[in-house]
Amino acid sequence: MVLADLGRKITSALKSLSNATIINEEVLNGMLKEICAALLEADVNIFLVKRLRENVRSVIDFDEMAGGLNKRRMIQSAVYKELVKLIDPGVKQWTPTKGRSNVIMFVGLQGSGKTTTCSKLAYYYQKKGWKTCLICADTFRAGAFDQLKQNATKARIPFYGSYTEIDPVVIAQEGVDKFRDENFEIIIVDTSGRHKQEDSLFEEMLQVSNVTDPDNVIFVMDATIGQACESQARAFKEKVDVASVIITKLDGHAKGGGALSAVAATKSPVIFIGTGEHIDDFEPFKVQPFVSKLLGMGDIEGLIDK
Amino acid sequence: MFSMFKNLVGSKTLTKEDLQPALEKMKEHIIGKNVAADISAKLCDSVAAKLEGKVLGTFSTTANTVKQTLQDSCVNILEPKRRIDILRDAMECKQKGRPYVVTFCGVNGVGKSTNLAKICFWLIENGFRVLIAACDTFRAGAVEQLRTHTRKLNALHPPDKNGQHMVQLYEKGYGKDAAGIAMEAINFARDCHIDVVLVDTAGRMQDNEPLMRALSKLIKVNQPDLVLFVGEALVGNEAVDQLNKFNQALADHSNMTNPRLIDGIVLTKFDTIDDKVGAAISMTYTTGQPIVFVGTGQTYTDLRNLNAKAVVNALLK
Ligand SMILES: Nc1nc2c(ncn2[C@@H]2O[C@H](COP(=O)(O)OP(=O)(O)OP(=O)(O)O)[C@@H](O)[C@H]2O)c(=O)[nH]1
Ligand SMILES: Nc1nc2c(ncn2[C@@H]2O[C@H](COP(=O)(O)OP(=O)(O)OP(=O)(O)O)[C@@H](O)[C@H]2O)c(=O)[nH]1
Ligand SMILES: [Mg+2]
Ligand SMILES: [Mg+2]
Repeated sequence: MVLADLGRKITSALKSLSNATIINEEVLNGMLKEICAALLEADVNIFLVKRLRENVRSVIDFDEMAGGLNKRRMIQSAVYKELVKLIDPGVKQWTPTKGRSNVIMFVGLQGSGKTTTCSKLAYYYQKKGWKTCLICADTFRAGAFDQLKQNATKARIPFYGSYTEIDPVVIAQEGVDKFRDENFEIIIVDTSGRHKQEDSLFEEMLQVSNVTDPDNVIFVMDATIGQACESQARAFKEKVDVASVIITKLDGHAKGGGALSAVAATKSPVIFIGTGEHIDDFEPFKVQPFVSKLLGMGDIEGLIDK
Repeated sequence: MFSMFKNLVGSKTLTKEDLQPALEKMKEHIIGKNVAADISAKLCDSVAAKLEGKVLGTFSTTANTVKQTLQDSCVNILEPKRRIDILRDAMECKQKGRPYVVTFCGVNGVGKSTNLAKICFWLIENGFRVLIAACDTFRAGAVEQLRTHTRKLNALHPPDKNGQHMVQLYEKGYGKDAAGIAMEAINFARDCHIDVVLVDTAGRMQDNEPLMRALSKLIKVNQPDLVLFVGEALVGNEAVDQLNKFNQALADHSNMTNPRLIDGIVLTKFDTIDDKVGAAISMTYTTGQPIVFVGTGQTYTDLRNLNAKAVVNALLK
C-alpha cells in the first residue's frame, strides 16, 4: 500500500511507548526521533517534520501529567493529530456539478504526469456517465498534442488541440468555448510543465487560468519528488487557485512523502492517486480512511476528537 | 546556523560527544538540501570517523571543522573518478567504421527524450551525424516527440557536404519489441555510415520486473558503448533505490560475468531546484559513476557539465 512502509515505522515507534515501563522525556524523544527519521526517509519536507516534532513536544508536559496510561494516550493522540495535519488540509474536496460545464485545469512541474492523468480523470468521469472532453493547451512540449490525442482516441474521449496554433491561451479559450457550447459537463484542460524559476511560464499559466475560468485547478505531483516540492507547490498556489492535488507514480517504490508537502503548501486535499501508466491505473483518494489504514489503527478518530 | 557552537574554541582533542551536536545539525541541513536520509547519515558517520581523536586547531570551531571535512568528502564524491569523453570515443568508433551507440534509461518523465535531443544537438554541433532510435514503443506520443525534435534539429543544422541530414529518426511505431528496433537502427546506422546512434527507451519504474527485464535485454543484445541513466534533480530518497535497482536488473538479467551496467548519469531539471542540490550527491554516492551532463532547461542548449565545487557550495550554504 501507499506509504505502507512509513505507516509501519510509525506504528512501531508508537508501540515503543506501550513497551516502556515508565514514560519520561527520554522515551518520548526516542520515539519522536524514530518517527521523524521515518518521515524524512519518505521525503516529507524537513520543516514540516521539525514542526511536527516541536508540536508534539509542546503538548507534553511531564511535570503536570498524571499516570502512565494517560501519558501514553496523550502522546499518541498528539502524534496522530500532527500526522493527520500533514495529509488532511481540512478543506472539503471539490466535486463537479451535474448538468453544467465544470472546467478542470491541470498544472504542475515538467514530467509529473499531467497529460497521462488528464486522460485518466476524463476516463474516470466518462465511465461514470458524465459528458467529458479533453483540451491540449500544451504547445511547448514536442509531441504533446499527439500524446493527448492518442490517449483520447483510444478511450473515445472528444478532444481539442492544434498543430499550428502556438499560443496555448488561444487554444484553451477556443476549446473551452466550443465544449461549453456543446454542453460538455467535464472539460479538462492539459497545460505544459513549468517551474517557478521561469516567470514567463508562470505568467502563461495565469493567462490560461484567466481565459478558462476553471472550477478546479489540480496540481499534479510525482511521488518520487524530494525536498524541492514544497516551494514549487507554494509558488503554483500563489499564482493560480490550486484546489486539489493528485499524486502520480505511486506504483513504484516511492513513499510519496515529498508530494504530501504539496498538501500543506497548497492547503488542498489529495483527490486521486496514479498507480501506473495505463488509463485505469487511478484511484480516488479519501484522507480519513487513508490515515487510519496508514497507521493500522481502527480507532484513531476517537483519539483525535478528544 | 552554526553560531551556537562558536564557544568551543580552543585546542582540544575531539570526542564523539563534542562532534555529535554539530554532526546532527549538519545532517539535518543536508537532508533539507535533498540528500537522501541514509546517505546523509553515512556521510556524517564518515566525517565523525575522520575527526574523532583529532586535535582541534586553536582558532577553529567544531562546527567549522565538521563543515570543512564534509565539504571535502562531498567534492570527492562528485569529482569523477573516470572521465567519459563521448566526442573522443565517438571519433574512435567512426575511424573503425562503426557507429557509437548510447542508450538512455530511467524512470518515467525524468527527461530522457528531451535530454537525448539536447545531446544530439551537441553532437551535431561537433560535426557528428546522428540516428535517433525510437525504442519507446509504449508511451503515447513518444515517437512523434522524437520526430518533432528530429525536424527541429535538422532545421537548425543544414545537411552535410554530401547533402545528408545531420539527424535521422529510426522508428517502427508502437507496440514493437524495443531491443529489436535498437538492433535494426544500429545496423541501419552502420550501413549508412551514421556516426552516433542515440537509443531512447520508455520510462519504467525500477520495481517493474517485466519492464526491467526488457531493458536488460535491450542492453544485453545491443551492447551499447555507453549506458546513461537519466535522473531528475527533483528526486528525493528514491534516487538511491532507482540507481541500485537499475544496476541490479542489468546485472541479474544479463547472464554474463561482466554485464553492462550504468556508465554515467544525466542529471536533469537542475533549473527547478534552487539550492536543493542533494540529488547530485545521492546519485554519485550510490553508483560511484560520474554525472556526465546536467540538464538546466528545456531548450537544446540547456546542457552543462557538473561543477562539483559550485554544487558543494550550494549544498553547505
Ligand atoms: N508508472 C507510472 N507512470 C506514470 C504515472 N503517471 C504518469 N506516468 C508516466 O510519467 C511520464 C510522464 O507523464 P506525462 O503525462 O507525459 O507528464 P506531463 O506532466 O504531462 O509532462 P510535461 O507535459 O512534459 O510536463 C510518462 O511516461 C507517463 O506514462 C503513474 O501513475 N505511474
Ligand atoms: N526545467 C527542465 N525541464 C526539463 C529538463 N529536461 C527535461 N525537461 C522537461 O521534462 C518533461 C519530460 O521530459 P521527457 O524528455 O519527455 O521525459 P522522458 O523521461 O523521456 O519521459 P517518458 O519517456 O514519458 O518516461 C518535458 O516537459 C521536458 O521539457 C530540464 O533540464 N529542465
Ligand atoms: Mg504533458
Ligand atoms: Mg521519453
